[in-house]
This record gives sequence, structure tokens and C-alpha cells, in this order.
Amino acid sequence: MAATDRIIVLPGDTIDPAVIPTPRRNAIRLGPGLRHVQATNSIVPTVAGQLITDHGKGSMWVESSTGHYIPAISDLVIGQITRSQGDYYLVNLSPYTPNATLPHLSFEAATKKTRPQLNPGALVYARVTLANRHMDPELECVSQTTGKGDGLGPLTGGMVFDVSLGMARRLLLSKPREYGGVAVLELLADEGLAFETAVGRNGKVWVGSDKSEANTRMVIAVGRALRETDERGLDVEAQKKLVRRIMKELSR
Amino acid sequence: MPREAEPSLNERQFVLQALRENLRLDGRPFDKYRPVELIFGEQYGVVEVSFGKTKILAKTSAELTVPYVDRPLDGIFTIATELSPMTAPSFEVNRPTETEVLLSRLLEKTVRRSGALDTESLCLVAGQKCWSVRVDVHVLSHDGDLTDAACLAVVAALRHFRKPDTSIEGGLLTVYTPAEREPVPLSWLHSPFCVTWSFYGDQGEMALLDATLSEEHVRVGSCTISMNRHGEICQIAKLGGTPVDAVALLQCTNVALVKVKDFSAFLDRKLAEDAKRRDKGGLMAELSAENDR
Amino acid sequence: MPLDTSAYSLALLRVDGRRWNELRRIHAQIRTQAAADGSSYLEMGHTKVMCVVTGPSEPGPKRGGMTGGVGGGGGERSSTADVSVSVVIAGFSSVDRKRRGRGDKRTLELQSTISSALAASLHTHLHPNSTIAISLHVLSQDGSLLAALINAATLACIDAGIPMTDYVVACTAGSTSTYAANDEGADPLLDMNHQEEQELPSLTVATLGSSDRVAVLVCESRVQVSRLEGMLAVGVDGCKQVREILDRVVREKGRRMIQEGTIEKGMSLDDMDID
Repeated sequence: MAATDRIIVLPGDTIDPAVIPTPRRNAIRLGPGLRHVQATNSIVPTVAGQLITDHGKGSMWVESSTGHYIPAISDLVIGQITRSQGDYYLVNLSPYTPNATLPHLSFEAATKKTRPQLNPGALVYARVTLANRHMDPELECVSQTTGKGDGLGPLTGGMVFDVSLGMARRLLLSKPREYGGVAVLELLADEGLAFETAVGRNGKVWVGSDKSEANTRMVIAVGRALRETDERGLDVEAQKKLVRRIMKELSR
Repeated sequence: MPREAEPSLNERQFVLQALRENLRLDGRPFDKYRPVELIFGEQYGVVEVSFGKTKILAKTSAELTVPYVDRPLDGIFTIATELSPMTAPSFEVNRPTETEVLLSRLLEKTVRRSGALDTESLCLVAGQKCWSVRVDVHVLSHDGDLTDAACLAVVAALRHFRKPDTSIEGGLLTVYTPAEREPVPLSWLHSPFCVTWSFYGDQGEMALLDATLSEEHVRVGSCTISMNRHGEICQIAKLGGTPVDAVALLQCTNVALVKVKDFSAFLDRKLAEDAKRRDKGGLMAELSAENDR
Repeated sequence: MPLDTSAYSLALLRVDGRRWNELRRIHAQIRTQAAADGSSYLEMGHTKVMCVVTGPSEPGPKRGGMTGGVGGGGGERSSTADVSVSVVIAGFSSVDRKRRGRGDKRTLELQSTISSALAASLHTHLHPNSTIAISLHVLSQDGSLLAALINAATLACIDAGIPMTDYVVACTAGSTSTYAANDEGADPLLDMNHQEEQELPSLTVATLGSSDRVAVLVCESRVQVSRLEGMLAVGVDGCKQVREILDRVVREKGRRMIQEGTIEKGMSLDDMDID
């Protein structure tokens, strides 16, 4: 996606009909931030942000970096256990919001006896299974269909870094470099750093590695690279420069 | 009720592990401040100070009023702190939290009780008329080390402030507008600055300067030392927390003195820059020469 | 009231006739209130305070005290006990009968300091989801208020049987120099009374037991940085003396309790290691 075709919309703007995709077979799909007004048969943005259109899939949505995470079904999130209550863990997804619930048995191969015992403050990587307005969201750490964890579950060690929600979304795209313009993690990995990441849609990125002396520095470096990319809005070229600088610092 | 997020176990462990390896999350050495920025406003007495993401606005104002009955020869000097929901949703309006009470006490002790501002010079007619100088401190964003930033902001705002010139002739008090006479600075005696140490480890053996909010969450104790550049301690506050070795505390005081000298030089430079910026066409020099006569 | 410091340089005696390194008389009692879990009464010179401890118990309705300390706080269930301190300064305690409201910042600061200092010594992790309520009453003030409050709170916590690492003991120290004069000949002073606190630089030190580790260090007056080392050394040394005195009080009370048969029968006095 080149910088030239960026369309910024504000709530109530009129969208140029030329950019609206016209799928041949089925109806157009509207993502978050857009609303169809029937009276005038037009599409109106409801939030400020960048308008993204996908002509292949016939969909469009508004990309914005909001301050507050609102859970949506099948989002991957990083939550912090607040406490255990009955058969559930109460999980905090973002500050100043109601807790989400995570059933004790909703882990890979968990039974009453083998379920993970999580203390308050522990981190889990989970998927949102229920997100209705005015209800506490529900989470799972296991796929209901396959019974596999697929990488979900408790996160041990490592460090979480806060990023903006937009950044988290871009990192979660199938090809972050091409679609989202975030190459920093790939670039760092190409330089030979071995680390794991888990990206939560709620604006949290967990970076982990095995425990050894050099790795603390590496995790800090990865975290700083992410935050700097996010806060200063670096493009891929600038990210390459940043990675080179960080690698130089690390080798010192 | 809004709840502040406490750091997770992973974060706690990681921050401590990193500190044991002499590393901080933002790559600073233990005894280094984040980039300090100080911007004076268009008006006199308005200043915005930021330490990294911590941002504080201080505004000084003055009005004529009647002195307190028990102190007829002194003017009135107050520092008001405000941590509003703008800082974080857990701060409520008109319900001071512990953070706010301690911050306001520290500023009070550092700036007011140490006699940085000559309150006697604020009195115009004994028992009848005096200036009431008030500094409002607004915390715009909180990312740790509020005290040091707030103290710098208060001192900068007071030193930058100009109050209207006055004269008394035959019992008649005249207050001049800025057009008639150039406003005059407050009578300032010394500039105290706060330096806050945060302690980590079971024995509090690791000490950090200018901790960020996530570092503050993990600390086991803190000690705020206020000094001026002449090496006079104005206040020390280690309010509980894990006990720290006495010798280590003395060491902290010595480092604090160096930092205070840095702050002092920094503020002097900024004030000089601002004076230069305002002094367009040498008009101010001309006016002040007249006043000297 | 100008303090005659010239008299000090002649006779090396302070206004109340003490030498530089002398504490005032400390009189302490524990288990003074029958109804409380732990209680104490402490006099340091003319500063008199009482302390009552309730808990560790289920958290009741909020009493408006300051909670603090490491990992404590928060309305949710916590893994450690909250130490909640309330300080009431009686109107008749000082010469100027000043009424201090609930929101008085100085009192709030005292509460927060005591809470945080004790929380670091008490084994609060043994009592999750509970509250230790410490209620302090100031009956008479003559300097060293914070030190007296900390000492009284420590004694009451011992009486309540709350496990702790060591005593948290406090005292004050000062210096005969005024802040401006950087005279090298200035003597440090131990245990300041009200009159000295008004005139001379002073600080409050609290240490953990007889170690050199400082839990609380509060200085509210202007003083040259070169004076600090001497004052701190005298203060830490004074804390060790205070610890001895408090320890004697606790042991004496323990001995009496055994003699009066409060301890279960079958255990003779000789079997117990007390002295």
C-alpha cells in the first residue's frame, strides 16, 4: 500500500464513490467505523482514521488508533489474571475496564486435576469468545473445535510492552510488512535474534526468550524497537535504520 | 470504580532481573534523568515541564488581599496541586489520593517552608494589604517522578513570574499596569530542587533516579531529597518502605547535590534564553534603566 | 523564644539540661487496653502517645486511614495484609489549641509514613486479605512526634503478636548549627524537644532494629549537607538505644505475664529463655 493512496476520513465525510469497491457477486462488506445510511443510500464514516478498501474481497473499513480497547469475538488478547472466582479466572484486559472471564478448564488438555494454577498477576494469551455490550467478555485458551492450544495459554517469563491499538492490529495482520508497514520484528529476527512474541489486540506485545544473561538485553531492545516504531510512526526504511542502530548497541 | 492496572508478575520479575543486570527498560544508566524539557508560556509565570512522558504545567498568579491576622507582616504564598482524571481515571476531582497529598506536602516543604520566596516582601501595608501569590500545579500526564518534575516547574514558574509594580505615597497604594511600569520579579532567595531515588532489591541495595511509572510500581521504597546549589538540604523524605543502609543514603545525597547543580544551571540558562527572547529591540533594557533611577 | 545557644557553647548543656547525646526519659507500657488485640502507651519526655492495634482481621468498612506499603492497598483482595494507620492529634496536646481536621495533610503524611514503615517490617504476606488497623492517639506533644508514634506502633504490634522482622525504632537528631552557618564545630544533638525543633535543624530517623538500615528519614528544616552525616550517625545510634529500652519493656511484660500465669501451665519460668 503506497503512501499516495491513503484516504483520511472524518466522521460524516462523504466518501468518493470511485473508491468504494463494487464486488460482482455478493454485497459489499463494511468493517468497523463505517455505516450505511439507507435514506440516502450512502456510506458514511463514523470515526476518524484511514479508509482501507479491499477490492478483491469487496470490503472496506476505517483504520484508526483508538485509546480504548473494545473486545470483539475472535480477537487475540493478552490478559492479566486478577483472581480466581468459582470456576473462572477473572482477567483484566485493559485498565479501568470490567474484567473478562476465563473458565478454569478452557486450557489445552485441562481437567479438574491438571488445569493450570494461575496466581493473580499472571499473564495469559487468549481468544475472545463472547463480546456483547453490557456483558463481561469471555475468553478461551483452547480451540473449541480441535482441542489444541495453538499457542494460547499462560505466558511465562518475558516482558509485556504497551503499544497503540493500531500498532497491535498492524502486527496481527497476516503480512505485517506488506499490509501494515511494520517490519521491525522481521528485521530483528533476520539479524539473528531469537525471541518469541505474542501480540494482543488490546495493545500489548509480549516478548520472551529463554532465560540467560544476554537475553534480558535483547528483550529490552526488541521492546524499545517496537515502541519507537509505534510512537514515532516510522516507515519501513526508518525501521531498517532503527534496527541497525539497535544491533550496534547490542553488540557493544 | 475505576481501577489502576497493577504490573503483572512477568513485568515485576523482568524489571527486577534487568536491574540486577544493570539495565533499565529505556536504556538509561541508573543515575540519569530522562530528557528534561522546559517551555515558558507567553504570559509571565506559566511553564510546562516534561520529563519524558511526565508532563506538568505550573501557573503563577498574584492578587492583592488582606494578610492573615496572625501574620500581619507576611504576604500569602500557596501551592495548589491538582491530579485530575486527565492524569489517570483513578484520580477523582476533589478527593485527594495519597499520591497527591504526599506530592503537595513535599512541594510545600521544599519551596514554601525552606523560605525560597521572601514572603515579607509581598506585604505592602502591614496588616492591610499584601500580595497573595499562588502557584497552580497541574499534572497533565503521569509517567513517574512527579515530584522532581513538579518542583522544577514550581520554581521555574515563580522565578519567571512578574507581578505588577506598586508604589505607596502618603498612604495611597498605586498598582501600575504593565503599560505604565514594567512588572517586577518576585523577591527570590534560593532555588531548591527535588531529587527522588527509588530503591529496589530485598535490602534496597539498588537505587534509581527518575523512575518511570512502571518502575515506580515495582520499587520497594523511595527517598526524595531537596537541596539548593549551595548544598543546603531543604527537606529529606524517606517515608517508610524497605530499610536502606545509612551509608547508601548519604551517597544518594551526594549524587543529589550534583543533580541539583545541573538543574540549577539548566533553569538559569532557560530563564536567560527567555529573557533574551522577550527583550526585542532593547525596549526592556531601556525601561529597567528608568526604573533604576 | 530565642534559644540561648551561647549557653550551650559554654557549659555544653542543652535547654533542658541534657548533654548532646542524651535521650529524654522514655517510659513505655504494653497491653494497656484490655479490649484491644494489641496496645501500648509511650512517653518520650513530654511527648505522650497511645496506640491500639486491631487485627489482622477481615477488612471491615473503610475507616479513612491511610493504607500503604509494598504490594498493599487496593480495594480488591490482596495477597498481603493492609496496614491501615489513623493518627488522632488531641486538641489539648500542644500549647496552641489548634483543631486539625481529618483532611489535614500533615496528619495524612504521618499516617502514610507509619503505615509504609511498618508494612516493610511486618510479615504481611502471612495474612492475605486482611487488615491490620493501627490507631494512634497523641495526648501531649513536645517534639519528636513521628518518632514516638513509630515506637508506640511497633510496641503495640508486638503486643498484638503480629510476626515481624525486627523492631522499627525511631528517634530524632539535630545539630547546634543554624542552617546558614557552615561551622565545623557544630555538635550533633540527640532526641530533640519541641523548643529545639523550632530553632535548630533536626531530622527523624527510624531504623530496623539495631542495624544501620534506615526505614524512615524525614528532615523538614534547612541544614548544610555536611551536617547530615553527623546527625544521621547520632540518630542511628539513638535508635539502637531506643531499641534496648523498648526490648526491656517487652521482656519485663513477658516475665510478669508468666508469673501471673497467663502462659499455659506446665512450663516453668526456668524453661523459658527470657532475659
